[in-house]
Amino acid sequence: MKLASGKGDVDRCPYLDDQARDILGSSTRPPIRLVKVGVGERSFPIGEEMVQFRHEKTFYHPPGMMVAVSDLWTRDRIQEVVARVRDTVVVRVGTDQRLSGVAIRHLSGDPAAFRTAVEAVEEVADLPEVLMAEDPAVMEQGLAVCGHFRPLIYAATEKTDETMCNLARDYGCPLVVKADDPGRLPDLVERCKGRGVQNLVLDPAAPSLHQFQNISTAIRQQAITRSTPSLGYPVFLDAAATGMQEAAIVTGILRFASVLVLENPDQASLLAFLTLRQNIYTDPQKPIQMTPGIYRLGTPGPDSPVLLTVNFSLTFFTLQGYLEAARIPCFMVIVDTEGLSVLTAVASGKLNETLVAESLKKFSLEKEVSHRSLIIPGYAAPLSGRIEEASGWKVLVGPRDAAEIGEYLEKEWKQ
Amino acid sequence: MGLQTLSSWTGQIGTVVLGATRSEGGSRSISYSIGGERDLPFLGSPPSGHRPLVAYEICDDLSIWPPVIREFLKDRIREPGAWAREAGDQWKPDLIRLFLTSTRKRDFRDFAAIRRTVEEVLQQSPLPLIIEGSTDQAIDSEVFAACGEAGEGERLLLGTAEAGRYRSIAAAALAYGHAVIAQSPIDINLAKQLNILLRETGVPENRIVIDPYTGALGYGFEYSYSVMERIRTSALKGDADLAMPIISGASDTLTVREVREADPGISQRVAVTWEFYTALSSALAGASIVCVRHPQTIPLLLDAIDALWGGAQELQGVRGSHLPHVRHETCQWQRRRGPLPLSG
Ligand code: B12
Ligand code: SF4
Repeated sequence: MKLASGKGDVDRCPYLDDQARDILGSSTRPPIRLVKVGVGERSFPIGEEMVQFRHEKTFYHPPGMMVAVSDLWTRDRIQEVVARVRDTVVVRVGTDQRLSGVAIRHLSGDPAAFRTAVEAVEEVADLPEVLMAEDPAVMEQGLAVCGHFRPLIYAATEKTDETMCNLARDYGCPLVVKADDPGRLPDLVERCKGRGVQNLVLDPAAPSLHQFQNISTAIRQQAITRSTPSLGYPVFLDAAATGMQEAAIVTGILRFASVLVLENPDQASLLAFLTLRQNIYTDPQKPIQMTPGIYRLGTPGPDSPVLLTVNFSLTFFTLQGYLEAARIPCFMVIVDTEGLSVLTAVASGKLNETLVAESLKKFSLEKEVSHRSLIIPGYAAPLSGRIEEASGWKVLVGPRDAAEIGEYLEKEWKQ
Repeated sequence: MGLQTLSSWTGQIGTVVLGATRSEGGSRSISYSIGGERDLPFLGSPPSGHRPLVAYEICDDLSIWPPVIREFLKDRIREPGAWAREAGDQWKPDLIRLFLTSTRKRDFRDFAAIRRTVEEVLQQSPLPLIIEGSTDQAIDSEVFAACGEAGEGERLLLGTAEAGRYRSIAAAALAYGHAVIAQSPIDINLAKQLNILLRETGVPENRIVIDPYTGALGYGFEYSYSVMERIRTSALKGDADLAMPIISGASDTLTVREVREADPGISQRVAVTWEFYTALSSALAGASIVCVRHPQTIPLLLDAIDALWGGAQELQGVRGSHLPHVRHETCQWQRRRGPLPLSG
């Protein structure tokens, strides 16, 4: 029963033989394994994706954006970056967009320096980490500091898989596997599984952006069709190492990377990739929405105009942009159309007089203004009569295009 | 490399030729084929079809052009002809997209001026040209006739036909041998319908480029991205009415809040980054032409597209200094695999 509902794991059943376990496992498990990186509030899950194209269903788990520090750096420099990763928040469309964690690169050749660098990171924040050291002895130094916080271990290769697997198992950490020829990844995965490590992430070690997107697409296709179950793991991309970080970030976000390592991004880049990630990982059936309610532009008073609109974020921000440009203080009343745009909401019946009347009451709009005039979107014109009747407010039909709202208000708003 | 994709498509994107060289009856230094793919964008080594192109957008009336661009160009902005020539020389876009924004003035009637502008751009810039004519049905027929005639023989790409207004543009394209941009609002069925309408008017499929309407990053881009992917996959599955190459120009990108309200110190960089992210994502979704307005976005985008393309296939004709540069970048990655010396 647990298996059928996806809660149990066949590997834990003591009664099944290998063959039965394989059959059961492959039909009940999601085609891409869910792997968790880090512990606590900022930990994040990756994997468990079902489709190649977001329009087929949705993409579920946005990639972790891990900012790199080096064990060649001073403690201050490391901690400055870590604090930035900890504190950066971009509020977009009502949600907090954040960087995901820190990747610590071993470049010094000195295992003790790696340990010190990991300690420096730990002092500042409880962020998910990627420990990047190819030498297991160095990795052990890092794990001694943060191993119990489920860092992602980078990486087991065909040469180091035995010792890296021992470390991953002992500490219960997820492990990146990396093969110079991605064709050998399935073998390497099986070897790691044989050594008791299930939480794996694949680094295709692609020599170019072109190769990365080819291999990553191949992995996604073979995983979701279950034609190569050993490829059913999230994918890793060291975007900074490509020498074209921005292009690699775009490609990674669009082409199935689940963990991206980048060098300290500037503000422009950060805004752009957090937004792209949010866009691509939005459920196509469930658009990003505003919380319904009253929004103020400037400091409106009892005489200020009141504009009705829907809670589709795109509509809200478009209208808000033009209203700001118009510099006329006003109230925006956002009603809950379940994230549909004006036309779509009118066409589907979600925007209707009952919803408008009830919303005006619920938000106590009559306490905000002395007048009883409501400007509705031009595309909602067919509803104007019915809204007047149901709400008792006088309805003014605004322009269709929000770009004309400034001109409209100047001409028509004479209270 | 030992991992193969599983795509097994039956369809193919059609090709459209843009620009005509002297030997082809025009005066361009180069002509491009776009489209022709048998797979998803950039898949396969070498990828199928033709490498996506980067178009640089200019206009003939700057009053509605993004402030961030006007600020960047300042005194570098000249008449459209000189603008096109200088931008072409300096930033090396694959082609130019001229917006005749002057036609958006109220009661516009100066069709002779438009004709002169088009002629001037064609004289000064040797690159293939996309022209965005009027957006008003009342003057469509004069505007498109003027553009079409001025560029006769040059295999222009004329925009934009929409469901309610496509006859004038189709007529101009047919009379003077140009291709047409067919724009529909983020809807695969509407895109298909418009293509059928255009074909019924006599525009052959190898002269139609789909514009599925590209929303700005953060402002509906996800719908545009998915509709492009859906158009591409439907075409590859054999739907001939959608098997035209796609053009994507996120015209609103430089007026979104993030760009408008960016700190003055970084606003240029935000503009470039925002455009770059939108345009490269569109290319990955299947666009054959991506259009940008900030000149500094052009080289970044060309490098990224080259890196995604794999440097395996030369672009038809020349692409200035970009190819050697890209080889350098990709080699660098090979060399830099493994521990990366973090700079500074
Ligand atoms: C994307 C889209 C969808 C998405 C949904 C997106 C969303 N979150 O709403 C999906 C694919 C889900 C969808 C579904 C449907 N859609 Co639809 N969709 C569109 C599309 C392509 C774009 C809509 C959009 O995002 N516009 C951008 C936003 C910002 O526009 P907006 O909300 O109207 O806001 C503008 C103005 O209204 C104004 N404004 C907004 N608020 C205010 C307030 C005031 C006071 C003022 C003055 C102005 C103002 O400012 C904004 C900018 O100018 C349009 C075609 C088009 N281009 O319009 C069709 C369209 C709206 N859809 C349509 C239809 C019929 C539907 C469906 C009923 C059936 C269908 N075709 O699938 C369903 C209904 C959904 C449901 N659940 O039942 C029709 C509507 C027909 C009509 N005239 O009534 C359209 C016009 C397409 C068409 N021509 O057939 N749709
Ligand atoms: S036999 Fe195995 S799978 Fe079945 S209920 Fe028992 S433990 Fe679970």
